[in-house]
Amino acid sequence: MVSEAKTIMVVEDEVTLLQVIAKKLKVSGYSTITCISAKQAIDYLKNLDENPTAIWLDYYLPEMSGMDFMVEISNNAKWRSIPVIVVSNSAGEEKKKAMFALGAKKYLLKAQYRLDDIVKIIDEVITENQKSV
Amino acid sequence: MVEDTGVDGLYTKNPLVTSGPNLKFYAGAPIKIEDRNIIGVLFIADRISRRLSEIERETLRDLAEWVQLEIGCSNLFYTRGEDIDKIRQDLIVKNREVEASKAKIEVMLENIGDGVIGINNKGEIIFINKQVEILTGWREEELMGKSLIHSIKLIDGQGNEVPVSERPIRNALYSNKKVISNSYYYQRKDGSQFAVSITATPVVVYGLVIGGIDVFRDVTKEREVDRMKTEFISLASHQLRTPLSAIKWFTEMLVDGEMGSLNAEQKELVENIYQSNERMIGLVNTLLNISRIESGRIIIDPEPTDIKTLVDQVVLELQPKIQKKNHKLIVSVHGELPKIKIDPKLTRHVYMNLLTNAIKYTPEGGEIVVLISKSGNEIISQISDNGFGIPKRDQEKVFTKFFRSKNIIGIETDGTGLGLYLTKAIVDSSGGKIWFESEEGKGTTFWFILPSLGISSKDGEVSLDS
Repeated sequence: MVSEAKTIMVVEDEVTLLQVIAKKLKVSGYSTITCISAKQAIDYLKNLDENPTAIWLDYYLPEMSGMDFMVEISNNAKWRSIPVIVVSNSAGEEKKKAMFALGAKKYLLKAQYRLDDIVKIIDEVITENQKSV
Repeated sequence: MVEDTGVDGLYTKNPLVTSGPNLKFYAGAPIKIEDRNIIGVLFIADRISRRLSEIERETLRDLAEWVQLEIGCSNLFYTRGEDIDKIRQDLIVKNREVEASKAKIEVMLENIGDGVIGINNKGEIIFINKQVEILTGWREEELMGKSLIHSIKLIDGQGNEVPVSERPIRNALYSNKKVISNSYYYQRKDGSQFAVSITATPVVVYGLVIGGIDVFRDVTKEREVDRMKTEFISLASHQLRTPLSAIKWFTEMLVDGEMGSLNAEQKELVENIYQSNERMIGLVNTLLNISRIESGRIIIDPEPTDIKTLVDQVVLELQPKIQKKNHKLIVSVHGELPKIKIDPKLTRHVYMNLLTNAIKYTPEGGEIVVLISKSGNEIISQISDNGFGIPKRDQEKVFTKFFRSKNIIGIETDGTGLGLYLTKAIVDSSGGKIWFESEEGKGTTFWFILPSLGISSKDGEVSLDS
């Protein structure tokens, strides 16, 4: 069981997906901040006293793409340390490379993973990140 | 001979005797043709009575024979003349026919939408049609007698000139076979390029290659449509992944009882939704992979790979399926197999597909054998089973897109008919070769070859399973 202090920010423009991800994270013991756009996520980050423990990020987002969001995160000293897990329905080599270059921890292909597995991966990434911090 | 018509009773009343010339004397010798038919008589006649000596009679007969001979000869000549005339007439008719068919072919060549270039066995251009001028910008007089390969440049997708050894027309002449190429560009006189589809055919007379024909057309539009098709499949498939993910994740939570426990029946139903959705996800992945391979944009990224490890991983992943069907699996890998430079991701797909098929299309308790050996510069992989086999009539269609053999459709409903198509496309694009032997009810063996010297890398934009 994960401690209640762990918060995952989920950035996903598909409301249905956002809903099921939030449900799953909740039953897995995480609290969530759900955002339907990268802009909204940036706004939240600016106003939060404390960084979320990790960010679940979609790649294709309206207005501001997942990539642009990563650029913002990586350029911000306060946010840079937040581990980001990209979960997208497209995982081309170039996209992956670019995201990793910007500091993304994982790049997962949406329909390939069960939520169970993604939660496990998030757990691992968080543990790994806490070790290195 | 009648010496005196007044005395010879046979002629006293003849009109020629009683009136007109009032003949008294007549001597004639018959003129025969081919010693049979008498066609006339050579005669002498007089109004007074005469008598011919034996020599004179003989002379008359000789004369008649001579006439006979002369008539015979000229007759013969006449017949021959008739023959020659007939031959001449026939020739004129035939000539006209040839001219007509030549004109027909010329009109066809001129009006055909494709460019047609004829070359001799030295590769020199000996004719072109109008379309060649229109398509390439070169004029007939600029091309005639020149080497086709050096006059009209062929460019590959990366903008490099295609080497002579890979020019379709050269290979058609070299291999004495028709060569079709669809992936290059012809360069016009002004340096611009157009996507070209080329059919190069050798011209063979009495088993000897005397030249070749290069037929080509501008396929810019087709390539564009093809690109759009690929893009559409890619876009549609990516879009499909969103609802598929939603179904997958919602049903996962339901089955896991995370939203309250389900009774056994409910659980089974939701489990079915989950499994069907998994199939759909698999199908979308395969379609995407096919569109990537077909678009030619696939990245080939070879690295030194240990085939044994790769196969072991595939087998490990498939272990649950193998156990479920109680199959016996034997894997034997050549002891001193070096690491070879292949794209592990692509090669993994090939083993995965062939093994999945073997497991799927073999009744429970079957035997599956994987043999990997080295022969010369080739790594040969053999995957055999003692399963349902492929009926003879279906064998040539096995690598066709969406084809599933009749004998297994009823037995194994899960299948898209895309696996082997994709597998062959992967093997082909890796410079390998794949084939099989099969007997219905006995089993199937697939072989595929990879060059042990490795495959060359290819820059691209996409990779499989992304």
